[in-house]
Amino acid sequence: MTGWIKGIGWVSAMGCGRGRTAESAPIWNDTLVIPARKDLFAQADLRFGRLDGFSRTGLAGITMCLRDAAAEEWQDKRAVATMAVTRGGCLQTDLDYLATVVEGDGKLASPNLFAYTLPNCFLGEAALRFGLTGNSLILQQDGGTEVDVLWRGLEELAWSHCSGVLAGFCEVPVAGLVCPPSGYGSLFVLIEGTPDPQAGCYGKLKREGNRLFFNDTPLASFNNLVVACLATVARRG
Amino acid sequence: MKQVVLSRAAVVTPLGDGVDTLWQQLTAGGTAIAPLVRFATANYISSCAACIEGLVAADGESLMVPLLERVARQMGSVPADCRLLVATTKGEIDRLETRSRNGLEPTAADLPETFIRRVAQRFDLPAGGVNINAACASSTIAVAHGAALIAAGQASAVLVYAADLVSEFVFSGFSALQALSPHLCRPFDQQRSGLNLGEAGVALLLLDEERAQQDKAPIMARIAGWGAANDAHHVTAPARDGCGLILACRQAFGSAAISAKQICAINAHGTGTLYNDAMELTAFHSLFAEKLPPLHGIKGSIGHCLGAAGAVEMAVGARALTEQLLPPTVGCRNPEAVGGDQVGEKQQRISGDYLLCCNSGFGGINGALVLQRIMS
Repeated sequence: MTGWIKGIGWVSAMGCGRGRTAESAPIWNDTLVIPARKDLFAQADLRFGRLDGFSRTGLAGITMCLRDAAAEEWQDKRAVATMAVTRGGCLQTDLDYLATVVEGDGKLASPNLFAYTLPNCFLGEAALRFGLTGNSLILQQDGGTEVDVLWRGLEELAWSHCSGVLAGFCEVPVAGLVCPPSGYGSLFVLIEGTPDPQAGCYGKLKREGNRLFFNDTPLASFNNLVVACLATVARRG
Repeated sequence: MKQVVLSRAAVVTPLGDGVDTLWQQLTAGGTAIAPLVRFATANYISSCAACIEGLVAADGESLMVPLLERVARQMGSVPADCRLLVATTKGEIDRLETRSRNGLEPTAADLPETFIRRVAQRFDLPAGGVNINAACASSTIAVAHGAALIAAGQASAVLVYAADLVSEFVFSGFSALQALSPHLCRPFDQQRSGLNLGEAGVALLLLDEERAQQDKAPIMARIAGWGAANDAHHVTAPARDGCGLILACRQAFGSAAISAKQICAINAHGTGTLYNDAMELTAFHSLFAEKLPPLHGIKGSIGHCLGAAGAVEMAVGARALTEQLLPPTVGCRNPEAVGGDQVGEKQQRISGDYLLCCNSGFGGINGALVLQRIMS
């Protein structure tokens, strides 16, 4: 299975970033500041203000990725799938919502917070903002690493009608839980089935058996991938 | 591409344990929707739901634990090389709720990975399972993914374990969204006013058809096609034109290599909410322009089982194909005009080999499966 990485974007302790404009790789194991609207969009945006922290972080990663791929603007809906791996998911939102339930014995339960107590909802936000009609799902794994989502992205690309897949991870701090191995933040890549000579791409993602390769080099983590993508940009000047 | 079959199904629902019991109750027009006693409902817009009888958890444990035990006992052993796909939206949410009310912070035990591991251990499967969270289409999407793995030769056996509970967490949320019906829900009825929540635990064993034949494993139905698509419209409301569901169904027809005309029946999501049911009928009319096949929904009987809904409905759909009979849509006393005489509170005879199952969920996701009758 093969795909081409056309864009990469992230949210880390250093803020929002993307492959073609980043000066350095993101830092994951530091305090994450949940992105604000002005970090992403120039215009006022009521919907963004309603999102919980997990959804803001995930949506920001997807937005930066699409921006990096020059694919943020659209007119017709696009057959692009979205999938994200997460360990803690929207657990902090669950706790915040539960607090509204407990506070008034249910009378004060927040419908807005409840709407984001499903971790896939930020993928829905991305779908409606960017016209993405492919499959959209969250993967929660027992074992494995966060790059497993790239395998599944390649599978989706091979087995579905989608021309592209946005695949990545999203993690935000949860009170009482230790930091996951990926660190906090989000990172997404746009994988397409064919290279785009005009827009350019970072390189080839390939799955062979149980191993993943980027530009023929074994890929073990998203950090590896970011470094390799930034090196590609540096080589092109 | 390899053919994929549903070999075995174990179900625990508010209408009892086992596909046979569920089928008998559904065809008799039974319903398990009743006043809730699990938690106080005075401050919510509804006081009823469908709960599984005899589900009791030990102190500090989730009801998901005894539910898993009942499903696993019914299922029996599964092939040791099964890939495990779990489908739950909120997992052991009752445990988190209790801990939170007691001022305790979450622990690693509250993460989905703990539940996935519990399921793997109970079925004697190795670690490495995955939970697919696609809201109320979770198990539909999980079955689609499992079928795709088998079709592509990446696996020859997949166990899909789907479960969700009636919890105050979810009940209060749907109440706050004004989505609950205060009475028995009425899917596809002109007077429908919302959904009733339900709960279920389901295990589905998917096999490569050649392997099933070699192992002389039972075959309930072939999973002939699957599809998934997003509305790209709204996070909690379906697209009124049904665009995402239409796309998912067309993909399912395409992968099954059939035309819409070959579908003899539909097991619809049919939540009983104004917008979901209207969206589905719009989508079905677009897909089946010539003639709408008989359709039904079972949420008036067992409530909306969230992430497990699709898995229960798939087991029912397989049985419906075998029996060539659609159970009644309990609560649909006065069907929407656009549903014609194809949906209602009476059983319907069907005639054909392909049945469409579909589900939709928050986040705009839609999943569709085409089941094919296998003549023994």
